[in-house]
Amino acid sequence: MEDQLEQSITDEEMDILQEVMNIAFGSAAADLAEVIDIYVVLSVPTIKVMKTLDLPEYIRSAVKEYDRLSIVEQNFMAKFKGLAILIFPSGIGRALIAMLDKDSESTLESDPVEALERETLLEVGNILVGACVSKVAELLGDAVIYAPPRVIVEDLAQDSISRDLFDPDKLAVTMQTVFHFDGEDMSGLLFLICSNESIGWLRQALHEFLKQFE
Amino acid sequence: MTTSMIRKILIADDSPIARKILKSCLPQDAGYELHEVGDGLAAVQKYKEIQPDVTFMDLTMPVMDGLGAIAKIREFDQKALIVVFTADIQKKTMEKVIDLEAFMMLKKPPSKEAVNSALARVEKHLKESR
Repeated sequence: MEDQLEQSITDEEMDILQEVMNIAFGSAAADLAEVIDIYVVLSVPTIKVMKTLDLPEYIRSAVKEYDRLSIVEQNFMAKFKGLAILIFPSGIGRALIAMLDKDSESTLESDPVEALERETLLEVGNILVGACVSKVAELLGDAVIYAPPRVIVEDLAQDSISRDLFDPDKLAVTMQTVFHFDGEDMSGLLFLICSNESIGWLRQALHEFLKQFE
Repeated sequence: MTTSMIRKILIADDSPIARKILKSCLPQDAGYELHEVGDGLAAVQKYKEIQPDVTFMDLTMPVMDGLGAIAKIREFDQKALIVVFTADIQKKTMEKVIDLEAFMMLKKPPSKEAVNSALARVEKHLKESR
């Protein structure tokens, strides 16, 4: 399996993917900032190749500082196929409601908070995941379709990310971006997990992307 | 043939691919002296060492980000010409870049046309301020 990991994607391909993810998340952050009056502080994306069996532990480790989580998950399908997971510490949905709700007549008194929180997380997830995945696909010459997103609100960190995401014997490429909402003391993580069956296409598409600049 | 005012170019970006893409967009026959660094702190140090005619600066970098690096370079050289070269295209980022008096902003991934246009503006500015 170690040989398989080493051969699956080269260092140069990881560098290209990191830059593609950087461009895509920058675009997604700008889209979100158009909807919410917020400034998203970006970080350098992390790219890893791992056995899908190791994915839940890897993600759990990345969010170990959060006791409880709110998660938006969405599958995307095309040549670029996989799963996007947007993870926030619990309670962020309520903070986002307040920010989105500044000009709205809807109030926390009139609507069930959990339903509003779910809707808000869905909206933020739609923007961040949709813009980011679509931009990655666009840069790599693909166009994806999406399954409906799933929202998990207020789950224990240890329980949320325990099920098998893909075939456990296969590999996945993870693209991880940590982001902060400036001035709001809020942060989150976005994982794009490219499935094993897309890795061959992904490698070729990364080289095509770079070739246009040569 | 006119002589270019731009001789030394500093590129600060943590991504070797972003640097490679930017270099590929520069005119290949201009004879520029290119210098590359991978983080903001290294950019400040290299700037002081070589005093480039123009610096292409990424914003999202480890050790010191691009905004911090621009501020430090400004303390050293009020007239530094810095072209911000970034994927972070939020309006508030642009405001921060304007506050730091960067020369202009280029969106990633760049095109040859956009890079050449930026160089032409830098060239014009250098000629007018000579």
